[in-house]
Amino acid sequence: MSILSRNHVQVSGSGTRAMVFAHGFGCDQNMWRFVAPAFESDFRVIAFDHVGAGRSDLAAFDPDKYANLQGYAGDLVEIGEALDVRQGVFVGHSVSAMIGLLASLKAPEMFDALVMVGPSPRYIDDGAYRGGFSESQIEELLEFLADNHLGWSAAMAPAIMGNADRPELAEELTNSFCRTDPEIARHFARVTFTSDNRDDLGKVAARTLILQCSDDVIAPPEVGAFCHAAMAGSELVTLKATGHCPNLSAPEEVVAAIRAFV
Amino acid sequence: MSDAAAPNVHEDLADLYETAPCGYLSITADGVIAKCNQTLLTWTGRSREDLVGSRFPALLSVGSRIYNETHLAPLLRMQGHVSEVALDILSHGGIKLPMLANAAEKRAEDGRLLFTRFTLLEASDRRRYEHDLIAARDRAVERARMGKAHEAAISSELEDERATASLRDQFIAVLGHDLRNPLAAIESGLHLLRKESLSAQGGRVTELMEGSIRRAARLVDDVMDLARIRLGGGIGIQRSRRMPVEPTLRQVVGEMLAISPGATIVFEAPPALEIEGDPARIGQLLSNLLGNAITHGDPGQPVQVSAGVEGGKFVLTVTNSGEPIPEQTMQHLFQPFFRGASRPSQQGLGLGLHIASEIARAHDGTLTASSAEWRTIFRFAMPL
Repeated sequence: MSILSRNHVQVSGSGTRAMVFAHGFGCDQNMWRFVAPAFESDFRVIAFDHVGAGRSDLAAFDPDKYANLQGYAGDLVEIGEALDVRQGVFVGHSVSAMIGLLASLKAPEMFDALVMVGPSPRYIDDGAYRGGFSESQIEELLEFLADNHLGWSAAMAPAIMGNADRPELAEELTNSFCRTDPEIARHFARVTFTSDNRDDLGKVAARTLILQCSDDVIAPPEVGAFCHAAMAGSELVTLKATGHCPNLSAPEEVVAAIRAFV
Repeated sequence: MSDAAAPNVHEDLADLYETAPCGYLSITADGVIAKCNQTLLTWTGRSREDLVGSRFPALLSVGSRIYNETHLAPLLRMQGHVSEVALDILSHGGIKLPMLANAAEKRAEDGRLLFTRFTLLEASDRRRYEHDLIAARDRAVERARMGKAHEAAISSELEDERATASLRDQFIAVLGHDLRNPLAAIESGLHLLRKESLSAQGGRVTELMEGSIRRAARLVDDVMDLARIRLGGGIGIQRSRRMPVEPTLRQVVGEMLAISPGATIVFEAPPALEIEGDPARIGQLLSNLLGNAITHGDPGQPVQVSAGVEGGKFVLTVTNSGEPIPEQTMQHLFQPFFRGASRPSQQGLGLGLHIASEIARAHDGTLTASSAEWRTIFRFAMPL
């Protein structure tokens, strides 16, 4: 299976410079459906699903390869290489902000601008560092994830996966944007919420924009401030939007901030 | 709607909202609780002042709070509604109350989000049941995994066992082969000595030595045959053209009589009977059966060897008198290295009958034993 179908990569837009959108933990590339189209007239817009999410190839999910964010960053580099992305813009939501950062360290020529929406280099408190969660709270989350399957059923999985050429079958099912094999969701959650990329922040060479929501329980303002301080030359914009998903709740504000940056 | 059809009860909608058997919750676009019903207040033990105006995420357990941000809110925004989602609501005392939630957005005509409305149902029993199911599935997966590991361990043990057995068989083959040469050298030396003029004692000793060499050579041959059976998949025979079998059998009987002082053998076979087999191997088969009969049979009674045709088959029987073979022994009679427990003093590797049965098999024939009432019969039958 090619890299582009493995990650269900979608390319649109008429520009030459690439803008790559990456979704965070939870749903899929649909997270960008109100933001990405705004850039199609000026950019080559690329969106994809991380392996294990959305309409990616679930058979490509390997717990060892994706045991940390490097596995996902490697996929992103492969996608960028397959589509010949150079000096492009990367827009990553939530955990994908860090995935994009790691990818830019692996392939520095791929992106010269990173937009991080609700980034957090570490979710768990550590000494003086406040990530917003204790270790036991993250364990509680992992346990809680088993309580919600969101339209996922092992019996249905083959029908969903086996019909990549007939997406209408998948679309008929509700909650499909956030439908994931519960085992994979749990794995991605553990990798996400136990990640620690604080030391990588200072290595980034690309221009960086941090979009921080006013009231975000997952990436609180002090975490955004930490990223801003650790990345020399980064810009920090605090949005009026609340919650962790301004790309859905306040797309115009996000679009305006990205446009001003690029 | 006719008045007659309407029940004579006036439902109070305000009361229905407040005391419905489910919790109601309305959240503003900014995530602030705008309204809730009495049922939810009762379940959570919270006051209306405490809840209304507070932030919705604060009402949720940590797991639910993250889940709300990563799944629930995005889904609501994308499809306008969500159903059958598990949420844990925190009571006044911080106790988690498992709930099942449906939610739908209420938008203004211009598309602006006004509220998100939640309907909450208590789901403690259901959640417990789901946890039981998940635990049962995990146990089943674990058992299946352990089953597989166990299988792998057994198959690896079996593999080791096979490798060891194969090594042992090769060792036997090499040992047997290498013993033959010094044995042949001793035998030819002895022949030279026997041609010299020896003292009476010298004659007796060399005679005993000849017998010993013969026995040793036989053991080596047996071992080599066994190795051939185990490593080569069968004893291997060289079938001749059709030829009379009687001379071969008669010669073997004569040899056995020569080395078995005191034994008597009654031999009968039609001189004209022809078979298509390996004469040397059939001779070996008879020799092994006779050796067995003389060793285990009643020394006072003759051993009978009889060859003929029965039902279109060549049949050779060797019959001895004496105590019958115990049932237990019968089952293992043709296995290699098996020696009947009855006479531990008898020397041998326990290969004679095994090799005989393999010779029978190589001739597409059978070797069977029957034993009853002071008579034991070994019967070899093969296609003519």
